[in-house]
Order: sequence, then C-alpha cells, then structure tokens
Amino acid sequence: MTADTPSFSVLGTSALLFEAPGSTELKTQQRIWALAAEVGAWPEVREAVPGMNNLMLSLAHTPRHLGDIEARLRSAWADIHALPLQGRLVELPVVYGGAAGPHMADVVGHTGLTVDEIVERHSSPLYPVYALGSHPGYCYLGGMDPRIATPRRRVPVLSIPGGAVSIGGSQTGVSASDGPSGWNTIGSTAMCFFDPKRHPPALLQPGDTIRFLVEKVIR
Amino acid sequence: MHAHELEQLAAWLAGTDIGWLELRGPNECVRLRNDGVRVDAVPDDPPSSLDAASAAMQPVVATAMSVGVFLHRHPLQDAPLVRPGARVRAGQALGLLRIGALLLPVTAPKDATVAGTLVAHGETVGFGTPLVELQPIAEGG
Amino acid sequence: MIEILSASALATVQDLGRTGALQWGVGTSGAMDPLALAGGNILLGNDEGAAAIEVPVFPFQVRFTEDCSFAVTGADCAARLDDMPLLPWWAHEAHAGQVLHLGLPRQGHWRASRAYLCVAGGLDVPAVLGSRSTQLRGAFGGHEGRALRQGDRLPVAGGCAVGGRRGTGHGLVPPALSMPLQVDGVPAVRVLPAAEYTLFTDASLAAFWSEPWKITAQSDRYGYRLSGARLEPKADIEMRSHGIVPGVIQVPSGGQPIVQMRDAQPTGGYPKLGTVIDADLWRLGQAPIGSHVRFIEATWDEAVTAQDHASRWLDEARRLVELQRS
Repeated sequence: MTADTPSFSVLGTSALLFEAPGSTELKTQQRIWALAAEVGAWPEVREAVPGMNNLMLSLAHTPRHLGDIEARLRSAWADIHALPLQGRLVELPVVYGGAAGPHMADVVGHTGLTVDEIVERHSSPLYPVYALGSHPGYCYLGGMDPRIATPRRRVPVLSIPGGAVSIGGSQTGVSASDGPSGWNTIGSTAMCFFDPKRHPPALLQPGDTIRFLVEKVIR
Repeated sequence: MHAHELEQLAAWLAGTDIGWLELRGPNECVRLRNDGVRVDAVPDDPPSSLDAASAAMQPVVATAMSVGVFLHRHPLQDAPLVRPGARVRAGQALGLLRIGALLLPVTAPKDATVAGTLVAHGETVGFGTPLVELQPIAEGG
Repeated sequence: MIEILSASALATVQDLGRTGALQWGVGTSGAMDPLALAGGNILLGNDEGAAAIEVPVFPFQVRFTEDCSFAVTGADCAARLDDMPLLPWWAHEAHAGQVLHLGLPRQGHWRASRAYLCVAGGLDVPAVLGSRSTQLRGAFGGHEGRALRQGDRLPVAGGCAVGGRRGTGHGLVPPALSMPLQVDGVPAVRVLPAAEYTLFTDASLAAFWSEPWKITAQSDRYGYRLSGARLEPKADIEMRSHGIVPGVIQVPSGGQPIVQMRDAQPTGGYPKLGTVIDADLWRLGQAPIGSHVRFIEATWDEAVTAQDHASRWLDEARRLVELQRS
C-alpha cells in the first residue's frame, strides 16, 4: 500500500483483504461501511466484513482470475461515498483499576500519567463502533486519546473475563466473553454484548457509539 | 455342447474381463475359468459320486463381484484381513475390492477355514475372478 | 441417542462450519478435517455437512442407545464395536446397547490425530446461526456450546436409521492416501503469500519455505504454534485489526509463526506471512502435536487447482457410494 492507494491482497483462496490508505479515521470507516454494503451484494461474496479502515471479502466461491475482482473493488472504492451510519449511544459504567484493572500499572508505567489522568482521558471521548470482530459481540472502537496508548503485551494473558475494558496500542475495547488477550486491562463493565437467540445476535453494530462512565476508581 | 461351440465360447470369454463362466443345462454343466492368460474348462464332478453332505464340503471360492483391485488388507493397515487357516463366518470380509475410491468387502459365502488367496494384493481383477479359496466347516463343527 | 462414556476427551460436535456471522465477530469453527467429516457423511448417505463428533483425544467411548448406522473416518483409531474390530472409513451397523471404542490413532500409513464419528441422519443438536458447529468462545452451538462430557446424550436425526442391506458394508480410500502431499518425506501444505510477505527479511522467507516446522504442544483448534527458525520483519510493522480466516500464518514479535485454525478469532492484528490454502487445511488439521510440516509456495492458479482436486474427490466418492447404496 502506498500513501494514497488502497492495498489489495489475498487470504488464501477463501477471502480477499482491501485496506484503505492513510491513518485510521471515522470518515474512512464510513466509506468502508458503504463499500461493504455494495460489495456484500456481489454474487461471489459471501460476506463483506469491515475491520479498522479495511474490508475482508469472505468468498462464496473462488474466482479463477483475481484481476477482475480486484479491478471492480478498486473502482467501487474510487466512487464510493461515505455512509454516515447514526446508531444509538450506549453508556457503560466502568470500575477502573484494582482487581478489575490488573494492567493499569503497565499503562501508568508506559504513559507516565497517573491513574486518575488515565481514567479521565479514557472516559471523556465518545467512541464510535467501527466494526465487530475478534469474538462474538466484540466492538472495535475508534476515538481513543493517543496519550494513553500502550503497546500490546509481549506475552498475552491466557484468560481475561468478559466485560474487561482494555487498551491495545492506540485502540480500546471491551471483551464480550472470557478469553485470551494481548491487551492491557484497565477496568471492568457489566454488559451483555451477544445473545445467539436474538436477531441480530450482537447488541451493538457499526454506527453505534459507546461512552464509558466512571463508576469507581480503585487506586 | 459340441466341442467347436465350447471353443467358440472359450475364445469369446478370453476377450472379456469375466473370470468365471458357468452354464447349467438339464444334462450338463459347463464351467470355464479365465485367468487372463488362458481359458480352461473346469471338469464336472460326476453328481452320482457325491451325496449332499460331501457336496457341501467341497472347497468354495469367494469371487470378485466387479472389476476392481483386490486388496488383502485395508490401505491404512499392515495386517491382512485374514490369514490362511483362519476360521471365518459366512459374510465375514476376507479381503477388499477397490473400485476407484470405493472399497467393497469380499465376503465368505459360508462358515469356512481360509485355504489361501488366489490373487496377489494390489492385482486388478475382473468380474467373477476367484479370489480366496475356502474349506467349508461342517455344521456343528 | 449416542451416550458419551468417556471423561475429558475434548470431543466436540462439529459440522462444516458457521458462515455469514463474521460481521458479529463469530468465527467459522467446524471440523479440523472437513474431508473426513464429509467422507463419513457420504458413506452414510447424509448431507455432507451433517453434524458429527470430532474426537481429538483417545481413548474415546460411546454407547448407541438405539440401532444405528455409523462411520468412523479421519485417523485410523483401531475402532471396535464391543469386541469386534472395525474397518476405518467404513459404514457399519450398531445395535442398541453396543459400545464403540476408539483407541490411539495408528501412525503407520498416515500420521493423523483426529477421528470423526458420523451417524446416519447426523447429530440432531439445535442449529445456531445456521450451523451445528460448537462455538467454544461464545459458548453456543454444538452440544450446549462446550466439549462433550461423560453422560452427555446426543440425539440422532431420523432416529438412528439402520442402513439396510446396502446402506452399510462399504468404505472409502482415505484422501491422505489418494492425494498425498510431502516434501522430503515431511507432510506439506501449500501457502499463498499474504499482505506482509514482502516485509520479512530474505533469510526469514528462505527459512520459511525450506525448513520443517514443528507443531508444538501449544497447538489446538484455535491455532497451531510452530517452532523453528526465527522469522523477522525488515522493520517494525504497525498493524490495524483486520479480518482473517483459518490458515492465516501470523508472526508475532517472538518470531515464531502461529497458523490460525478453525476456532481462531475472525480478526487479527499481527503481521501475516501467508495463508495455508483452504484445500490443504485438512492436512494440517490432522498433523499430530510433535510432528513436522513443510510449506510449499503456491500460485493462485495452483491453489484453485488444488480446490478442484478436493471437490473432485468428494464428487467421485459421492457418486460411487450412491451407486452402491441404491
């Protein structure tokens, strides 16, 4: 990918990956949502799955020749207009630090900020839901304050609980179920993000917005 | 059947994949065996010299039910399905016939002891080719 | 019903996977060896994607509570019905009360690690989001969203139909024998380079293609952690979270590759060197812990051709078995 052209690559024969150029932005994500809506209707595409300013095309059948679909994809991107999805605002009360935030000290150590400064910067923004992925119901959020960015852990933790609020690089998110994670957990919230019996089964979707409320800070 | 008719029949059989041909009439029975190299007439057992019990004890052969490749063992395994001298029950698999990706059992026609295999593992066979020779076990034995 | 007699065997109900739910963060799951699952279903006249039990740890025992036709495919695990040894990759009949025992996989003609118990009609667990595969992370699908335990009873669709005279008593040659793939005697899989391929050093790429990689004990349905040469990028690579599929080979900062498998997360943030092609994932899914694997660089055309071969194997198997069963 050069500075201003999108990147096209394959994930084996079962999917294609399209990455938008530039830094990760909401405006670009809105164009990705629009592209997903258009490309998702193509007969060879089983599902169009947005990521962070990128799109994976899960294929229903494998095209014999890649050139055609790559050309169509680039052409669609060139013409696409942003799809400014406006969803709901969901507020999540968070207990920061203490047992609920076992890696708060690592964020303090990396950023040089105090716990209160970290909590203040983490709970101030409105976080748009860019995409779902990772595990059922998990939301990839944009809009985190870069001053609290902390690299992913060298050794991932075997299991962090559902509801864990974590920072990985320049992103933040909430685990929807127990599982391994390489991110830094700074707090905990109680929310059901996924119910397979509902339709749709995920409680949040791209276009929704999350705000973290400070329920408690354990220093 | 006249001799020349038998020759014609044998010549025709030699050009086919059929390993065994048996024609029964009211007064005679013609048996021809085709091993792919030559066709032999298999002599009749004179019926009057046998009673039903010893007729039932004559060696029997399990034959191929189709063209295919005869296998002594399953392709995933080393041990043959049966060894000479083994006692087998009617319906028990003595070997396998491979037809493309499909495997079919070559089964014992009656309770018997395995006398020996007549075709090597991996050989292509035709319909009716004798594969395994068996010695029936007397009932109650 | 099938009653599970074994404790702690890590067995799960799987079918060919759950599609269409990536948008909600739900990965595909499904059989680690889809050809074995499909082959077992073909032997019984089932839909190829009928649900079955995937058995990764042995010994494993179940009891049939009713008459049932079944097949055990995948690894040859010295299957016995009560005392009777069973042929592998074969359609058998069980009577009510009989116990099926699967032993340690034999490592002779094919080193394989997982077996599939298929039943006529398939397992009748509820489909969730279009599939009967077990979604372990989300704790749904399969049997109660978890691995099977002693005492679990699994219903069989169509009430365990017995095949009748021609419904059983036939088998298939396993695809591992009819479509072998090896390099220097080591089982191999084909790989298509991925987006970050050119960002790795030449020495790393050379090592990736030329060395055998060991499947470490930290390998499971989520991913296979491999050990071997240290793979390094030319410079630090900053990645954004993006969709991935089973087969993607990630290289985290430790330099040891991880191949994402059927229960992997549907998204990832590590650099990707390549992807094991879909048509070869079954080979990797059967490779035992402690064994080695080689990677073969494939072109797009070669990958498409490999898929055609796998489809043709299934088509021929289906055609021959249907002829036999009719």
